[in-house]
Formats: sequence, structure tokens, C-alpha cells
Amino acid sequence: MIRKRCVGIILLAAAGALAPASTALSQATKIPGLVEEGAYDAGNLGMSMQRAPRNDDAGAVYAVGAWPTYTPPLADGDGKALVQSFCGICHSTTYITMQPPLPSASWEHLVDKMIRTFGAPIPRPAAQAISAYLKTHYTPETRKE
Amino acid sequence: MMHLSRRSLLAWLGSGAAGLAFSAQARAQVASQATTPLPSFTGPGVNPYWNGVNPFVSYPQKLPLLRMTDRGIQLETPRPYFLAPFTPNAAFYVRYHLDLIPNAVDLSTWRLNVEGNVARPLQLGFDELAKNFKAVSVAAVNQCSGNSRSRFQPRVPGAQWGNGGMGNARWTGVRLRELLASAGIKPGTVQLQFQGLDRGPGPQGKGADAVMKSLDLTDPALDDAIVAYLMNDEPLPMLNGFPVRLIVPGKFGVYWTKHLTWIRALTTEDTNYWMAAAYRIPDTPRADTTPAKAASGRLKTVPIGHVRMPVRSFIIVPDGSSKLPAGLPVRVQGIAFSGDGPVVKVEFSEDDGRSWLEATLGADHGPYSFRTWEHTWKPSRSGKHVIAVRATDAKDNVQPDAPVWNPGGYLWNRIERQALIVGAAS
Repeated sequence: MIRKRCVGIILLAAAGALAPASTALSQATKIPGLVEEGAYDAGNLGMSMQRAPRNDDAGAVYAVGAWPTYTPPLADGDGKALVQSFCGICHSTTYITMQPPLPSASWEHLVDKMIRTFGAPIPRPAAQAISAYLKTHYTPETRKE
Repeated sequence: MMHLSRRSLLAWLGSGAAGLAFSAQARAQVASQATTPLPSFTGPGVNPYWNGVNPFVSYPQKLPLLRMTDRGIQLETPRPYFLAPFTPNAAFYVRYHLDLIPNAVDLSTWRLNVEGNVARPLQLGFDELAKNFKAVSVAAVNQCSGNSRSRFQPRVPGAQWGNGGMGNARWTGVRLRELLASAGIKPGTVQLQFQGLDRGPGPQGKGADAVMKSLDLTDPALDDAIVAYLMNDEPLPMLNGFPVRLIVPGKFGVYWTKHLTWIRALTTEDTNYWMAAAYRIPDTPRADTTPAKAASGRLKTVPIGHVRMPVRSFIIVPDGSSKLPAGLPVRVQGIAFSGDGPVVKVEFSEDDGRSWLEATLGADHGPYSFRTWEHTWKPSRSGKHVIAVRATDAKDNVQPDAPVWNPGGYLWNRIERQALIVGAAS
């Protein structure tokens, strides 16, 4: 442990000046076939925590707790707040970001469908602003990521 | 961040700074794909990946699954779980339409209602289902109607599934026909309507209020249908329909009502949004049509319940994450299923579908189950290879190599391929 820590301190001192990306080939090349070893990188794919076990009672209620949400941000622009408030009545805006880029006509149709068949209570001016927002940010021409 | 390994530094300390000749080649090895996130957006083209391009997230009673949407909840099962014929409950995909999903259910007051045009309306407690009726089990694939929708070109709106909007489980419960007999279905009944506890905040009578699905009383699929209280011999996870779920072997998942609470005998055809407008397919072979015909408004459509799930097969491993050494045998493994009679043949192609060899089928768990298959393949040359798989069912339906297109993004069952890199072994 101590030795490891000492090495770590030296390493910290050396890293700023050298910042090499990988392993020293001088050591690795002593073993035929070994190209790289001991390379680590930041955990840039992220991590997710384990759930603690539940403490259920023996009654007839079967509960699992609240559903977590994982909603990516929407593009900034005029109409964003209307989208969040009106579309968010029934569903998270992940329903928008999850879609492939859709042509303007498709977004018009979808907003109309939400009002007509799903019963979304969106006044006409707001619906127009919502369509305009979606067309500005989420068509093949306007959405790049 | 720090990239120097301990061994490297020891080597450097021992050999002096001259040992630190970092080549571009070494850097390239570190910048491998394995630590780079998948892009979260496919653009307007076809999603080229087996699963959809979504992050892993955790939900109650679930392993990390791929989040498509978070309210309502839609989660895709990652590819490796399909190596086994039965999909673990904790990895089984989730698909809701509306966002009022039960967080807690009280079995002391919950009842399964059989009502409508019946002689003896039933209100059955959870324990009565198990005590008063014979338990039966069936292995059956539940697949979302829009599974693989992200393959469509042009793309269509909807849940952008890769291939993981499906799962297979052993479902145990009560025969639907037995419940119906107990209630005494009266003459004049044309359809049975199914509704669960999940609902939405929309106004009554609109699509965002409640999801209701109906099947014709005479549909033979109902003969095999069960009201399941066990999934892979365990209680159903809440997100898969606790306390009971309708199982309709052979049909798409939209008819497998979760949290099933109302079974209604209808004397007229169901015209609610979820039957009359949603989940409809063109009345053409494979439900195939064109964007122009769909836009014309003259497309004749039928509910997707009029068809059974078409035959499909999948390559699970190798998945392209590893380079394969030339000359080494590779055990190619996957699954196949059909909603229209059991899978009778699975064929493997090592040359992008030009020639086919019969693969070995795994254990038979019944006509509606996943059937595993495998084939030992020995790539002889290094370079890029494209392997493919296709299945045939008992009705002689063979997976086609042509894509399908319809505005709903339903019934994808094209031949699956996997590109692989074979490396030199010497």
C-alpha cells in the first residue's frame, strides 16, 4: 500500500509535465506479443448506483416507490417553456428528443394528433408556437445532435 | 486526468526518460471504441445498431435497461439478455402508453372484474384466481408491435426501438376461456375489451385517458390466452403488469394488457381510440406500403390484432464487440420465434445472405417461445465479414430480405445481419 501511494505521489508530480496517454513500450515490448498494458481512462461512460433492498411489511400493499425520471434537456429557443408545460401535462419531453429528426409536416401532424385524439388542452396560439419550436429544432435540416 | 500506469512509471524510473518514447500507435490503442459512448442520436438515417441508441438507466425491480422514454416509461432490453431462451424478469422490456402507472397496488381491495354482457359478473380477488381456477403455464414471446421501428426508412414517429422491444417468459395463470365460462358470456357478445390499472391524465373518451384493447370473441388466439399471475415462476414486476397480465400467445404485446382489471363483454365493435385509430396496419401483404400511399388517405387499414407476429430470428453473439481471430471456430448463437406456428428451421449465412446452411436448434419450449439456435462458423480469411440469419415457421413463412414500410412502423421482420471483423491470427 505504502509503496503504491509513494508511486502515486511521484506519478502526480510527473503527470503534469509528461501527461503520456498510455504505457511505456520499453517495458511492454520485453514480452513478445504484449502491445499495451496498464492503461486506464476516466469512466466516461458513467456509472449507475445499485438499489438498496426494500423493507416491505407483510400487508397486502405491494409498492415499488416512485418512478425515476431521466429527461434530457430540450434545445433552447422560443416556445420551449410552452412545450415543457403543455406537452409535459401527459408525458416527459423525452418523447421529443427520442424521435429521429422528423419533417415539419410530421411535427404539425403530431401536435394536431395530441390535441384532436389524445385530448391535449392546448389553445391554438400555443399549439402554433409549439409546432414552430419543434420545426425550428427537431427536423432533419435543423437537428444535428 | 492521469494516464500513466504504475508499471509504466516504474519502468520509466528504472530506465530513465529515454524509455518514454510514446508512439502514436500506442495512443491509438488507448482511444478504443470500448470507452467512447455511442452517439445518442442517429439522424434521419437507419439506426445501424442492434439496440436503440439510448443510455442505461435503473428502475425499480429492473437491471439497468435502455431508456427510451421516462414518463410514460419505455425501456429496451439490451442484446446480451437474449442469449437465453427465457428473458429474466429484471431485464424484460417495458412499454407504456400513458404516464399514470401504478406505484403500489393493494391486493386486499383490488379485483379482477369480468363484466358487460355476462350472466354472472365476476369480481375476483388475487388469491381467488389461484385458488378457484386451474393453473396453466405457457412459454410465449411478448413483442412490441413497433419493435425495430428505428430500421424504417424513411423514419416514422413512435418509440424508436432497436431489436430489444421483446422478451420471452413462462407465464402461469388462469385460462381466459375458463374465466369467461364462469361469468357466462351471453349471446350477442362480439368482442372482449381489456383494460388495466394504468391510465393517463387526458379527458374521458380521448386517447390520453385510458388504453383499452379488444379482440373478437371468436378469435382462436383467445383459446390460448391466460390471465397470468406468475412470470418465469415469480410475481410480475410492477412495470410488466403486476398483479396480473393478459397473455395472448402469438399476438403483439399491445393486446397483453398489463395490470389487467377489467374484462368487458361488448355487444358492438370497440370504437375507442386505441382500436379505431391507433395500432392499425395497411391491409396488404406484410402490411407493406409507401409514404405516398399513406399520405393519400386512401389506405385501407385493420387493427394489428388481425395478424400474428411474423417469423423473426436474431444473432446475439458474436455481436461485433470483439475482433475474431481467423481460423478459430466461433459459436454463433441466437434466438428465433414466430407468432404463427413454431419455428421449424433456422439458417445461417456466412456470406451476407448469398448462401445458407441449416443451423442447430435448441430445446423446444413450445410454439410461442423463443427457440435458441447455434452454428459453429470458422472464418478462414481476415477482413470484414457479414453473417446473416433467417428463420422459417411451420406455415412455411420465411423471413424476407426486403424492408417493410408502413406509417405506424409495425411488423419489421427483415433478415438480420451482423458485420464482423476477423483479424489475422499469425
